[in-house]
Amino acid sequence: MSGGAANAGAALLEVRDLKVHLRVGGAIVRAVDGVDLTVMPGESIGIVGESGSGKSTLARGILKLMANVELAELQGDVRFQGKDLTRIADAELRALRRHGGFSMIFQDPLGYLNPTKRVGTQVAEALGGKWFAATRRRVEQLLEEAGLPASAQLARRFPHELSGGQRQRVMIAIALASEPALLFADEPTTALDATVQLQVLKTLGRLHRDRNMAMVVITHDLGVVAELCDRVYVMRSGKVVESGDTVELFENPRHPYAAQLIELSTRHRRPGPSAPGAAPSVPASPAEAR
Amino acid sequence: MLRFVLFRLLHAIPLLIAVILVILLMLQFIPGDPVQAMVGDFPVSPEFRAAITQQYHLDDPFPVRVYSYFVNLLHGDFGYSYQFQRPVWDLIAESAPRTILLTLVGFLIAVPFGVLVGTVSGTTRSSRVDHFWTSTALVAYAIPTFWLGQLLVLVLAVHLGWFPTQGMGPLVSRAHGLSWFLERAHYIALPALAFAVHEGTRFARIMRASVADTLGQGYIVTARAKGLSRGAIIRGHVLRNSSLPLVTVAGYAFGAALGGAVLLETVFTWPGLGLLLVQAVRMRDNMTVVGIVIFAAIAVVVINLLVDLLYAALDPRIRGRG
Amino acid sequence: MEPPSTAPGPVRSAWRGFRAALGHMAGTRHGAVGCAILLVLAIVAIFAPLIAPYDPLQQAQASLTPPSMRDLFGTDNTGRDIFSLVIYGTRTSLAIGLGAAFGALVLSGLVGMLAGYFRGPVEAILMRLAELFQTLPVIVVVLFTVALFGSSFWLLLAAIILAIWPVEARLVYGQYLRLRSMDFVAAAKVADMSTIHIMLREILPNAIRPVIVQVALDASVAILIEAGLGFLGLSDPNTVSWGQLLYVAQDYMTIAWWTSFFPGAAICLAVVGLNLFADGLNEILDPRTRGRAGGLQS
Ligand SMILES: Nc1ncnc2c1ncn2[C@@H]1O[C@H](COP(=O)(O)OP(=O)(O)O)[C@@H](O)[C@H]1O
Ligand SMILES: [Mg+2]
Repeated sequence: MSGGAANAGAALLEVRDLKVHLRVGGAIVRAVDGVDLTVMPGESIGIVGESGSGKSTLARGILKLMANVELAELQGDVRFQGKDLTRIADAELRALRRHGGFSMIFQDPLGYLNPTKRVGTQVAEALGGKWFAATRRRVEQLLEEAGLPASAQLARRFPHELSGGQRQRVMIAIALASEPALLFADEPTTALDATVQLQVLKTLGRLHRDRNMAMVVITHDLGVVAELCDRVYVMRSGKVVESGDTVELFENPRHPYAAQLIELSTRHRRPGPSAPGAAPSVPASPAEAR
Repeated sequence: MLRFVLFRLLHAIPLLIAVILVILLMLQFIPGDPVQAMVGDFPVSPEFRAAITQQYHLDDPFPVRVYSYFVNLLHGDFGYSYQFQRPVWDLIAESAPRTILLTLVGFLIAVPFGVLVGTVSGTTRSSRVDHFWTSTALVAYAIPTFWLGQLLVLVLAVHLGWFPTQGMGPLVSRAHGLSWFLERAHYIALPALAFAVHEGTRFARIMRASVADTLGQGYIVTARAKGLSRGAIIRGHVLRNSSLPLVTVAGYAFGAALGGAVLLETVFTWPGLGLLLVQAVRMRDNMTVVGIVIFAAIAVVVINLLVDLLYAALDPRIRGRG
Repeated sequence: MEPPSTAPGPVRSAWRGFRAALGHMAGTRHGAVGCAILLVLAIVAIFAPLIAPYDPLQQAQASLTPPSMRDLFGTDNTGRDIFSLVIYGTRTSLAIGLGAAFGALVLSGLVGMLAGYFRGPVEAILMRLAELFQTLPVIVVVLFTVALFGSSFWLLLAAIILAIWPVEARLVYGQYLRLRSMDFVAAAKVADMSTIHIMLREILPNAIRPVIVQVALDASVAILIEAGLGFLGLSDPNTVSWGQLLYVAQDYMTIAWWTSFFPGAAICLAVVGLNLFADGLNEILDPRTRGRAGGLQS
């Protein structure tokens, strides 16, 4: 299907026929309804789809990070580094989260940071270090790597004392602390200002390259996908309607829904000049963006 | 923080003045003879009547009377109890420490109990442990403290003889140090326990709801994503954040208990402010009643102020402001 | 701009939802038990003369006899049958509970609605007033009022309402604050509906759910306060009440436990019933209270 999947060996993450059905006020919502998904080591994947299409639920279903939902059904096959996540023991799952497995950053960094703890402490916690002082150096490194200025001052602040972009970078630092093989980013830039969005995307791109870390970027914004992702899955109503190489999909969408998404996003983003005759829908090549 | 303190003070002082005004205003509407209403069921001679009328400006218009009352208050003069034949302030100064002692000991039991049970119950929601504690808390909360007091006295004091039935021990005690403490502890145990059952289960209920609320927060998901164990999440994120609302609730309850431990003190004949208030009401000693009620209002407003400041100090979201 | 015809939509659905919620009460563990207890108490109160074997004030029995087949709950110091006294006491307690809860609902509803709907000075004054009355503990407010004005049924009722209305007023106020900025209210305003109409027909039905829960809790507080006052010997001496029985029991408790036990148990039952009812209602109205994934699962 795509170059990335064909030339490597074993998949890092392999999802087969995942179903996540939620109970919402008596009715059953099939938020994720039979999704297949493959991520190779070091690969960057995009999941796009309009709001409510089940992107977040898919990610949380895979990583077992459901929150505040009543599950009606959760089934399917999820293999990560050869381990079956659906049947994994709690301790083993925690070990994967603590080191070398996967982590996730969330759309709303304010809500996903503890308001009563200093951000440095919250990063230190992800390092498994109890005492802030002992892990201080590493915390500062991580914050710097996530694109925050190297200063002990910032680590001593509380989440509400940071800007939206800074908070998201703290989330990124937390996610990086466990040196994950796979990073899920759920709408990492949606809550941010346009200028900050671009910076955070660049940071994510840099980390993906430098660390050779596989990434799944969830977004409703095809610009983000064009910036970061090798391959794309297009979701609608809990199902993957189309998937493939980013450039191929942009040039030649097969599913009308994908075409519509591309159409919409090119109309809204970058009204600036694009070379006549060139593929109209690719806003910028990943290389340029970096 | 300084701005917050000032703001809270600017809020508390007018509130206190307004409460006292309303209390004095209500005195206006007492049916019958105002002099009699002031001194209680007490024969009043004409000379005495004249003296009282003059001293408390009973013939003057309401604002004058209010003004003189406030001036007296500022001098620490809460009036004179003709029933007890003592200044009201002396009565209050004697009783209030006993009420504070009882309340403190009660809180020492109730707060840890509430936090523990609320957390256990809130983190194991819909399990058998939770159901047990929710039901227990519900029943315990429904038991009126005064009836619980009667039952405790009946079983633990009368039948088993483990504790004294009432009072707070001999006024003059020869015991010193530890034995003095044990002697007092003996007397305070039952009332403090009755108090703690009621408040402790209330705290547990609030803590449980707060824990449930915290567990729904995003940062708990983040903590899970970090691979923290259940215990680490509870200790590191749930306990502290969920306790914040309890600081306010328990703090306000402390203030309320200073004036409101009426029933508890009556059932154990614990000679604190509450018992004093009941005695004064029974004797129609309105001077004392008003004095205690105003003292209670001051205590509540001051303690609520302190509680809000404490909360602000504990919650970085407020601490950072201003 | 929405057409006016859509404005009442959420209102009707709110009512329907509420009726459905009451229907669901039987389905919740707490709600069902609460309803049952309240029903039994109501029947006892209504049919007290048929249920009670004796006139409550009749002193025909020997005094302080323990519970037996003849006197189920024993007799008190003046030879009155405690079972009959407790049965009749239900009337007083329920009357105070319902009366105070209803009175507080009307008062706080009015205050909360006005404060929540209007901005500016009305809002400021009314909410300050609520805070003012909330400063002193409920029991102190009631005791103070009773001390000054006496403790007949109506005075006591007024005193309790005076003490408990602020909590509910703040709740109603909060609801109105939340709702007044919502779409359907804006739609009603655009449709030129009168303020009264908007307040009563558009907002009220949507605001009422959490308030009903508070009304049940208020009733339980009122019953406890009335009992407390009776226990202090300060309630109306001409009515039979559970608290008053406990007052009398103070002196005889050590030799006759039944004088204290049964009236106290009756108070507990009423309070538990009301709290269970409120819990059940809460559970239906706020789905968050039901078990969900998330939280601490790994
Ligand atoms: N906590 C929740 N409560 C109720 N419904 C939910 C919840 N989470 C997700 N859903 C439902 O599941 C579907 C998918 O939601 P989501 O995964 O958040 O979509 P997306 O991330 O693509 O915007 C939606 O229909 C949404 O309404
Ligand atoms: Mg989403």
